[in-house]
Amino acid sequence: MDEKAILKELADAVVACDPPRAKKAAETALSEGMDPVKAINEGLVVGMGVIGDNYAERKMYLPQVLVAAHSMYEGLDVLIPAIPKDESLTTKNAVCGVVQGDVHDIGKNIVKTMLTAAGFMVHDAGKDVPPEEFKKMMLDDGAQVVCLSTLMTPTMDNMAATVKLIANSGYRDKVIITIGGPPTNDAFAKEIGADHRDENAQQCVSFVNSKV
Amino acid sequence: MAMSCRERVLAALKQENLDRPPVAVFTTCDTIGMMKACGASWPEAHSDPQKMATLACAQADYFGLESVRAGFCLTQEAEAFGCPINMGTEKSSPMLKGHRYNYNPMKKIYDEPDDLPDMDEFLRTGRIKTTLEAMGIMQKTHGEDYVVVGGNTGPFTLTGHLLNTENLVYSVWTEPERAQKWTKAISAYSKAYGQALLDAGADVVQMSEPSASTDILAPTDFPIQSGQFVKDCLGSLKGHTILHICGDSAPIIPYMFDTGVDGISVEEKVPSEKAIEIANHRGCMVGNVGCAFPLFKGTPEDVAAAAKRSRDAGFNVISAGCGVPIGTPVPGAASRPPQTSYPSRRVCGILLIPSDILGIPQINQRLK
Repeated sequence: MDEKAILKELADAVVACDPPRAKKAAETALSEGMDPVKAINEGLVVGMGVIGDNYAERKMYLPQVLVAAHSMYEGLDVLIPAIPKDESLTTKNAVCGVVQGDVHDIGKNIVKTMLTAAGFMVHDAGKDVPPEEFKKMMLDDGAQVVCLSTLMTPTMDNMAATVKLIANSGYRDKVIITIGGPPTNDAFAKEIGADHRDENAQQCVSFVNSKV
Repeated sequence: MAMSCRERVLAALKQENLDRPPVAVFTTCDTIGMMKACGASWPEAHSDPQKMATLACAQADYFGLESVRAGFCLTQEAEAFGCPINMGTEKSSPMLKGHRYNYNPMKKIYDEPDDLPDMDEFLRTGRIKTTLEAMGIMQKTHGEDYVVVGGNTGPFTLTGHLLNTENLVYSVWTEPERAQKWTKAISAYSKAYGQALLDAGADVVQMSEPSASTDILAPTDFPIQSGQFVKDCLGSLKGHTILHICGDSAPIIPYMFDTGVDGISVEEKVPSEKAIEIANHRGCMVGNVGCAFPLFKGTPEDVAAAAKRSRDAGFNVISAGCGVPIGTPVPGAASRPPQTSYPSRRVCGILLIPSDILGIPQINQRLK
């Protein structure tokens, strides 16, 4: 199997939402001597990009996205351990989480997946996350991006509180803050001092890639 | 003789021609201002039937809405199944802290829906019991003048709470029959609870099914994964029924009516005119003033404009598009005693709609 065919198979396995196929393709990539970073960036990530674009355009829906993401992670689980220790996969760090008071994390998980596919090392803060925890993770992980999510309107104020705490941390000019979730909009992002409101995960990736 | 609030809402549910649509919120509406005004607050009002009824009736007593509605969140059924819950605070709603059953399609580890709670016991448990008792209180104190609304959780959404929503949604792609098997089993509880709400005093059952929104399920999956079960557990009830689904529900509005409900509640993410056109007079339309914007963050003028748009489009009940945010302000509400008119500004309910917008001849105060 030549390199081009292996890369295509990695991408196709993700688009086909087929975790075992993605794992097998990743194993093939290694057995054929392919650079694991290349297999990730030019194989798995390409496939996840197709999924993300289709999801943003509502040509695909969440069930497919979740299974495609699982496929990508199955491939990553094979490829990442094969990366030589002195070769960094990425130097870009992002923190993602659902703000305090809210436990709905599917949207956050999709953003995490798409940022991972875009080459970010994503630190998952989880759900119901206090502002102080976001700040701590941002500083500990040296994050260039912080993505805040909420599904519910009552917790919009905690989104504002998190942005305010980051703004007062002395680190604000080193980090891009994006927000997302159904109750948010561009005006709210501007009001609380976030840099961007993400309509969907693909839009989040496009924005942060243009800034980082 | 002027119609009572109750008569107006019931007429709207039947799509009768009215001089103006009623202003009522069938989704949740329990704001900080209401809590301060009536003296019953979260989290106690989630579990105390008298406090729940008092807070629910504040919707009419203090904010001029033309209906009264309880319970207050979508975790009460999950709690009765045994899910751990954080009951929240005055300013935060209860949250699920875990799930009741094992359901992991990635690892192929599943519980089967064959060890579910006894139905009678389920209806006597926790906040299910609280809400049923509150229905009786609300019907007794306000039922003559106002429509009493009982809220419950849609079967796909509740199944997600019990299993893990992300895993349930994953299995819609990998094992759709397994997902349906669980949702069908759980829908029996949604049906029993809906009937119990009616038996306890509710005039309307309003079911929220947010996990079946088009942000999650493909429109073509809705009737298979949710709609057919909603039809059984809501559409078949012998009482008035409203189905609420969040997000851009435009592609599934026909499917929502296929469930046999009296009406549907839609968000502002569907343009008002488009929603009415798609609905094509198949039932009562409830909505669709935006919750975050303008209700929570906008000005009274923004709210009035949104309400006018919904009315002009043809909505039968002017309402918030989803649950009213807890911080939604109503100027002066806390100092306003119940059952009085508003001399300084004639407004209609929490939606802050100036009366002349809807042609309201008289502020909708308690009639007695």
